[in-house]
Amino acid sequence: MNNEERLKQMTRQQHQHEYVCRGVFERKGALSYIGHLDLKAVFERALRRAELPLLYTQGFNPRPMLVFALPLGVGLDTEGDYFDVSMEVPVEPEEYIRRINEELPDGLRVLSAVSIDEPKNSLMSVVTCASYRIEAPGITDAVLKVFGQESVETMKKSKGREIKVDIRPLLIKPLTSSAPDAAEYMCYAGSQQNLRPDVLLKALCETQGYDEKAALDARITRLALYGGTYPDLTSIEGLL
Amino acid sequence: MSKKHTEVKVPHSVLMSVESPGRYVGGEKNQIVKPITEGMVRTVFCFPDIYEIGMSNLALQILYKVLNGPEWSSCERAFSPWPDMDAKLRENNIPLYSLETKSPLNEFDVAAFSLGYEMCFTNVLQMLDLGGIPLLSKDRSEEDPIVVAGGPVTCNIEPMADFFDAVFIGEGEEVDLEFTAVIKKYKDEGKKDRKALLKELAKIEGVYVPSLYTPKFEGRRFAGFDMEEGAPASVKKRIIKDLDSVDYPTRPVVPNNNVIHDRAYLELFRGCIRGCRFCQAGFLYRPVREKSAKTLCEQGIAIMKNTGYDDLGMLSLSTSDYTGLPELTDGLLEDFKPKHQSLSLPSLRIDNFALELMEKASQTRKSGLTFAPEAGTQRLRDVINKGINEEDIMSALKLAFAGGWSTVKLYFMLGLPTETMEDVEGIADLAIKIEKLYFDTMRELGGKSRKPEITVSTSMFIPKPFTPFQWEEQNTREEFLEKQSHLRALLKKHRNIRYIWHDVETSCFEGILARGDRRLCPVILDGYKEGNIFAAWDQFYKDENWQAILARYDLKWEDFTKGWSTEDALPWDVIDVGVTKAFLKRERAKAYAETITENCRSKCAGCGAACYKAGICYE
Repeated sequence: MNNEERLKQMTRQQHQHEYVCRGVFERKGALSYIGHLDLKAVFERALRRAELPLLYTQGFNPRPMLVFALPLGVGLDTEGDYFDVSMEVPVEPEEYIRRINEELPDGLRVLSAVSIDEPKNSLMSVVTCASYRIEAPGITDAVLKVFGQESVETMKKSKGREIKVDIRPLLIKPLTSSAPDAAEYMCYAGSQQNLRPDVLLKALCETQGYDEKAALDARITRLALYGGTYPDLTSIEGLL
Repeated sequence: MSKKHTEVKVPHSVLMSVESPGRYVGGEKNQIVKPITEGMVRTVFCFPDIYEIGMSNLALQILYKVLNGPEWSSCERAFSPWPDMDAKLRENNIPLYSLETKSPLNEFDVAAFSLGYEMCFTNVLQMLDLGGIPLLSKDRSEEDPIVVAGGPVTCNIEPMADFFDAVFIGEGEEVDLEFTAVIKKYKDEGKKDRKALLKELAKIEGVYVPSLYTPKFEGRRFAGFDMEEGAPASVKKRIIKDLDSVDYPTRPVVPNNNVIHDRAYLELFRGCIRGCRFCQAGFLYRPVREKSAKTLCEQGIAIMKNTGYDDLGMLSLSTSDYTGLPELTDGLLEDFKPKHQSLSLPSLRIDNFALELMEKASQTRKSGLTFAPEAGTQRLRDVINKGINEEDIMSALKLAFAGGWSTVKLYFMLGLPTETMEDVEGIADLAIKIEKLYFDTMRELGGKSRKPEITVSTSMFIPKPFTPFQWEEQNTREEFLEKQSHLRALLKKHRNIRYIWHDVETSCFEGILARGDRRLCPVILDGYKEGNIFAAWDQFYKDENWQAILARYDLKWEDFTKGWSTEDALPWDVIDVGVTKAFLKRERAKAYAETITENCRSKCAGCGAACYKAGICYE
C-alpha cells in the first residue's frame, strides 16, 4: 500500500460515509500531451473550481480523493476512461457532470457519471481489459498479422534491466475498424497484466518491420475499459 | 507589418519525441484566444526561458490581461523551447509559434520580451531566430514585428541594445497600451517608415529606443552617448501610482504542466522600505506602494476560486513589511481553512507573530526557516545596510527551535565591498553559534532532540546598476574561489551544517552582463550562434566558449567588472529610475563609513523617488 492509499484508508476509517461520483471522460487535443500526474492535478483544480463538496484525505497535506482507473500515458487520447471522486454528501450525476464540465479545460469532458455509495473495491483493481484504436498508415495489416502469430517477443525495461517478454498472450482479439489506416483491438489492462499501446507499436517495428517514424506519428485512442473476466466482460460503471 | 496568418502545425511525432510536450501546446484554463482581425495590434509576450518558469512569472499574467483588454489589442504567449524541441523545430523547419493561435512569431506586430535576469539574453536571440525575426534591430523591415523588452534588466539594456527596437523602463501596466496605441495608429494610417515609428515611440515616457543613441569610447572606457535629434536626454521610469486602481489578474492562465511553483500569486506591494545597499530591486521599484488589505483579500479569494489552486503565495520584496499583514492573513485564512487551502509566506522576518502565522497559514508539516543575514559580521552588515543584528537572529531562532522547527537555511553573499577574510569567517561562526543554540535550547526544554539541519548558502555579490555599489569593483573568480574554499574548510567538520555555494563562473558572467555596454552585443550574438543558450542553467553554461568570444573582440572581463569612479559616465546614465545619483553617492559614502540608513517608514533618506508623488513618500 503506498502512502496515498494509506491516507485514503485513514480518511475512510474516520468518515462514516463516502459518496463517490464515478465519471467517464474523454481526452483529446492539447490535453493529451500531459502525463498522468499532471492530468490528475488538472482534474483536482477543476473540481475545486466547481466548488463540489469534495472529501479530502487526512494528514498533513489534504488532497481531494480522486482515483483513476488506469493511467493515461503522454500522447494518448481517450474516449472512455473512468475516475472516482469522493464527496462528503451525495451529488446528483447530472449536477456533477454540469459543474465539472464548466470548469475542465477544452479537450477534457465528462461524458457520463453514476453515484456510488461506499464502493467496496478500488477503481484501479476492477479494470481487466481495454480496447484501443491506433491510426497510422499501414497499421491495420500489421496489427492483424500480430494476432496471427504464436508469440511476439520484445524487449522491456524491468527493474533497470532489459528483459525479453512475449506480449502475444496480452492481446485478446482484433476489433473491426471503421477507418482505413486504423486498427482496433482488445487487450489485457490493469494492475494484474497490462499491454501499453506504445509497447505494441515497438513490437510491430521490431517484428513486422513497421516504420519507426510512422509509429512515432501514430495517434492512439483508448476506446473503453472493462472489468470482469474475458469473455465475460462487464462495464466498469456497475462494478463496486 | 504583416497581415497574413499561418497556423503552425506541429506533427504528433515531434511532440512525442520531446520532454514535457505539454509545454508546446497551450490549451490551459483561462487562456485567451482572440480571433485575428484586420487592424488589430497583435503582441506576442515572449518569455526567454522554459514554459514552466515563464508561467510562474507574475508580469506575464498581468500584462497578458492588460494587453488582451481593449478590443483592438491581443496578446499571446511564447516561451523558449528546450534544446530538444529547439533541435526538432530546426530539423523540421517549423517556426517558433505562439501557444494561442499557433502563429509564427514574425507575424505579430509586437514581440515583447520579459527580462527578469541577464542570463537569458542568448535565449532572446534563440526565440527571435526560431520565430523568423531578424536578430539585429537594423536588419528588420516593415514586415517584421517591433521587438521590445521590459523587466528589471532593461535598466541597463546596453549589452542587448543592438537587438531591441525599444525597451520599457519601469512598470508596464500603463505604458504597454500607450505603446501599442501608437502602433495601431501607424497601421491604420498605412504608414511605412519604421525609423519614424521608432522616433514616435521614443516620445512615450518610459520608452528607450537604443538606436537613437550611439556610444562613445575613450580607449577601453565608455564615454557617453551621441544622441539623435529628438531622442530624450533622459528616459524616466514609469510606475503605477495607485496599485489598488489597476486591474490584477484574478483569472490567470492555469498551466496543465507541472510548473515550478504550483500556486496562485498575490502581489502585496511594490518597492521595499529597507534600502539594503546591494539590492537592485530595492532601489528600482521605489517608492513603496502598498495595496489595501481589503483589495487584496477580495482578489486573493477570487483568484483561488478562478484557478482551483490549493495554495496562495504572497509576493513582495519583504512580506513582513506589509502594514496590513495581520488583517489580510486573518481574512484569507478564514475563507481558506474550510476549503483546505493554504498561504505561502515567503521572506517573513521571524518573530512571534511570524511563527504563529506560519503555523496557521500552512496545513503542511513545519517547513524550514529562511534567514538572509547576507554577511557574517555586524561590521559588514552595516556596510550593506542590512538592518538585522545577531541578537535579532538568535532570539528569533530560539523561539523557532522551541516551537519545534529544526531546519534553518542561511543565505550569505561573498565578495561584498570592504569584505575581508574575517567577514567570511564570521559566516562560519554564525552558523556554528546557531547549531549550539539549537542544542542549548533543546537541553533547556528537556525534550529529546532531533539533529538540526542548518544550511549555509553563499552566492556571489554582483554590483548592479542603480545601487550605491554600482561603481564597485567585482571580486575576481580567484577571490571568490578562495573565499568559498576557506568557508568550506571551516564548516567541514560540522556534521549538522551543510554548505552549498553558487557557481563562480556563471556569476562572473552575470557580472559583465549586468554592467556591460554595447561592446557586448556582438559577443552575445556569437555566443548564441555557437549554441550557448540557457546560460542560466549550469549544465549548459560554457565558460571557455565565452572567454574565447570575448578575446575575439579584444575584450576582458575587467572592462566591465573593474568599476568606475563616481564621476565617470556610466552606460545606463540615460535611464532615470527616480533614485538620484547624488543619493547613491551618499549611500556609498555611508557604506564605507559603516553607517546605516534608516528605513523609508521611519525616516525619509531623500532618495529622489518622491518625484513620483506616490506611495510611502506621500502617506
